[in-house]
Amino acid sequence: MMEKMKTEDFINELKKALEIEDEDQGITLETNLKELEEYDSLSVLSIIAMIDKNFSKQIPSSDFEKVTTVSSLMELISKEHFDQI
Amino acid sequence: MGTKISKVECYLPERVINNKDIFLLNEINNKNSQIDSALLEKRIKKLEKSTGIKERHTASKNETALDLALTVGKKVLQNYDKDRIDFLILCTESPEYYLPHGSAILQDKLDFKKNIGAFDYNLGCSGFIYGLALAKSLIYTDIANNVLLITSDTYSKYINPKDKANRSIFGDAATATIIEKSEEEQIGEFVLGTDGSGYKNLIVPNGGLRNRYDSNAKEIDDGAGNVRTENNFYMNGPEVFNFTIKVVPKLFLNILKENKNNLEDLDYVIFHQANKYINEYLRKKIDIPKEKYYLNLLHTGNTVSCTIPIAIKDSLDNKIIKKGDRILLAGFGVGYSWGGTIITI
Repeated sequence: MMEKMKTEDFINELKKALEIEDEDQGITLETNLKELEEYDSLSVLSIIAMIDKNFSKQIPSSDFEKVTTVSSLMELISKEHFDQI
Repeated sequence: MGTKISKVECYLPERVINNKDIFLLNEINNKNSQIDSALLEKRIKKLEKSTGIKERHTASKNETALDLALTVGKKVLQNYDKDRIDFLILCTESPEYYLPHGSAILQDKLDFKKNIGAFDYNLGCSGFIYGLALAKSLIYTDIANNVLLITSDTYSKYINPKDKANRSIFGDAATATIIEKSEEEQIGEFVLGTDGSGYKNLIVPNGGLRNRYDSNAKEIDDGAGNVRTENNFYMNGPEVFNFTIKVVPKLFLNILKENKNNLEDLDYVIFHQANKYINEYLRKKIDIPKEKYYLNLLHTGNTVSCTIPIAIKDSLDNKIIKKGDRILLAGFGVGYSWGGTIITI
């Protein structure tokens, strides 16, 4: 059984993947990823890499297109990997 | 008896497109937008950092992959008795004609003797590996003694001028490799693979016989400012990345297994150069030490079937690899198709 990841840690991993350097830039479960200034075609690769590294899982691009908020991304990865959503 | 690579040459077309050109071309195409120079600088920096590409060469309007192949063919035959070549293989996805095959035209233009075999095959980023496997087989079966393998592609002609994502990644190039008999085996065991279920993720949909070229094809916007039509090259980047991270680590282990080697037995690793982000991610995932891993797309970009021979030549010229070194080679991409082997320099 894989260890569950804290939401806070996941958001930090996500910030790293998106190269959000501003510590204060608030990313919450409700943040719409696609509306972020940093979000571009390479961000998708970074998020895929981050999910592969942490959860050994590959997300099909067709599912990825439906992602809006951080919590929708977490649901896609599957709730069982997190302590809460 | 064995086989070896005895010569490698590369040719890059003269025209160079740098990162600024990529963005400016896009701005010119999009007449309504104003160029903010600070934002432009930021984007240029980010592009180089993530892709590892500063500039790429592209063929000019009237220059085809066969022209590049001819130039690199002449280059590799300098100081080489061309009558020794008894088989010519051309790997390209940018054919001169539907028919005849380009290698026939090359036989004539390179002034080869007529009793040589020649054929083309259509493969992308795994093409050089398949070519080596073919050349080795031809020599082993006594069909040929000295094989000239040419890879040449001009993706720039397929990519829409407004598709800056793909324009920034791909470059045009040609390479020529001579494979010969040798006393000891210097080309190891091959691992080859294919998964056609991913064929739509790297494709030029129109222009073949299934969907003819459509001069009224509609423009498709990907939502991130990249425009193409069905006549153009299309890549589903995220899906191809998924394929890569699933297949390449396994491929790497299988190549080692087939050749009864461990990572420690290798002096160097050369993967197809897709882009810096992907190649660096693969390195970390497989756990290959940085000093053993080729990563250089700075002046060429992703040149499809040419990246591996370009990397071999670059590593030899810069004395990164030397005689006797064992190098793992792996290519992967369009098809999907993948393959790898271990060579001894």
